[in-house]
Amino acid sequence: MLEINHLHSGYNKIKVLEDINIQVPDGKIVVVIGRNGAGKSTLLNTISGLVKISSGSIMLDGEKLPPTPHRIVARGITQIPEGRRVFPSLTIEENLIMGGYLATASEIQKRTLEVFETFPILKERFHQQAGTLSGGEQQMLAMGRGMMANPRILLLDEPSLGLAPLIFTQVFELVQQLNEERNMTIVLVEQNASIALNMADYAYVLEDGKIVIEGTGKDLVVDPRVKAAYLGGVVEE
Amino acid sequence: MDLIEIFQQVINGLSRGAIYALIAVGFAIIVNVLKFSNFAHGGVLGISAYAGYLASSQFNLSFIPVVLIGMVTGAIVAVLVEFIAFRWIRMQKGQLVYFFVTSVTMLMLLEQILVIRFGSFFDTYPYDLIKVKFINIGELSISVTYLISLAVTIVAFGLLIYVFKKTKIGIAIRAASNDMTTTSLMGINTGMVIIAAFVVSGMMGGISGVLFGISTSLSPQIGQVVVKGFIASVLGGLGSLTGVAVAAVALGLIEVFLVSTIGSGYSPVVIFALMIAFLLLRPQGFAGVSFTDKA
Repeated sequence: MLEINHLHSGYNKIKVLEDINIQVPDGKIVVVIGRNGAGKSTLLNTISGLVKISSGSIMLDGEKLPPTPHRIVARGITQIPEGRRVFPSLTIEENLIMGGYLATASEIQKRTLEVFETFPILKERFHQQAGTLSGGEQQMLAMGRGMMANPRILLLDEPSLGLAPLIFTQVFELVQQLNEERNMTIVLVEQNASIALNMADYAYVLEDGKIVIEGTGKDLVVDPRVKAAYLGGVVEE
Repeated sequence: MDLIEIFQQVINGLSRGAIYALIAVGFAIIVNVLKFSNFAHGGVLGISAYAGYLASSQFNLSFIPVVLIGMVTGAIVAVLVEFIAFRWIRMQKGQLVYFFVTSVTMLMLLEQILVIRFGSFFDTYPYDLIKVKFINIGELSISVTYLISLAVTIVAFGLLIYVFKKTKIGIAIRAASNDMTTTSLMGINTGMVIIAAFVVSGMMGGISGVLFGISTSLSPQIGQVVVKGFIASVLGGLGSLTGVAVAAVALGLIEVFLVSTIGSGYSPVVIFALMIAFLLLRPQGFAGVSFTDKA
């Protein structure tokens, strides 16, 4: 169980998040929706240790998370960052090895095969530099790289951003698959509210750094405020 | 110039270029990871050159141990520079210009240490460090010193390629050169990656210091040859170590030819003019490639 209690955080003197309270039970999909600049990425980056906590706490199984990003990954929390952020000059193979940095050589080998099963295209381009991949392929690589860590909790920052609908449907299917088959806990942050809410066990709406609405995914899909603001039928971006 | 002379100049140029390539790659590793021009690399090179000199003149060690001592000294000094100078700026997330100014200061400081210990004279490595001086093939006489530095450079590059392609920490150094923040999201301790980068860079600097000291002479200012590494890493294109090495070899060849034709006074003038002309034509360098974010 990941618990965020009265969290305030931000960059230098700029406060971004105010009094955030979020519970992420094991094996569940928790979704946070919100517009650009609402603080979604800051939330995930605070969990990952990239942004300092000003006050409040983030607890995993009742224990405070370590202060540095690499030790947080070692505790089983991996983030797939916004904009994919693959290592462009590294090959696909090397990107995957980096994803499994904390794993043993045999685990890396085993997980690489699993990633290939999920994304055959990555196998074909094994020795190609990641920078030469298309945006959709880079998102697959970013997902595969995240799977290499075999995390307990996977944080996803807007995986649908800039992707063609067909590809992001695939991405969301994979997220559900990871959740169901491996019992992986998912924290998904999205602008693309309708798909995200439909797969959510529980969801939060973030506005100006504060949680303004929360409830089960089903509740939020039919919530008139959410409908008006996030499910207006107009595709944003 | 007859053909024989040209051939000899090519060997000299390749050997000089190979040493420049070592200097340039050691320099470029830190540029890639921390995004600033680390002129303290020259100080690392200088201290290592003198460490090798002491090992050979005081302790009569032979060539290979002398190179190894230079390499280890380089790694230690580079990490010390990181600990003493750069770490604090990193902790405070200081601007790049602070790193740059600090690196130049460290270069001068390390030079002064050499002046205090050895005086500002010229020294040379012991004459008999390399026993056979020349190989004669017909009219051709090839300097063994040059051949040996060429060979050592090739071995050093082989090791470097192995580390960067086949070891996790080596790949992590390259990943950190792409994107330090995302590297930390992989569970990689970026502080360790930076230390590893300084170790590898310092090893290259140490070897190049010893080789440069053997093939020329020693003075406390020997570290200023780092400027050649700087030129090569700009010409080679940021981010590509292969491009940097190629540029450095080309620089060595051009320099040797210029010195033998127009003399050592005019040669730097021509080299800097060439550098500016080259950058106007190809600002991304020999091998500079940039990957753009794809939507």
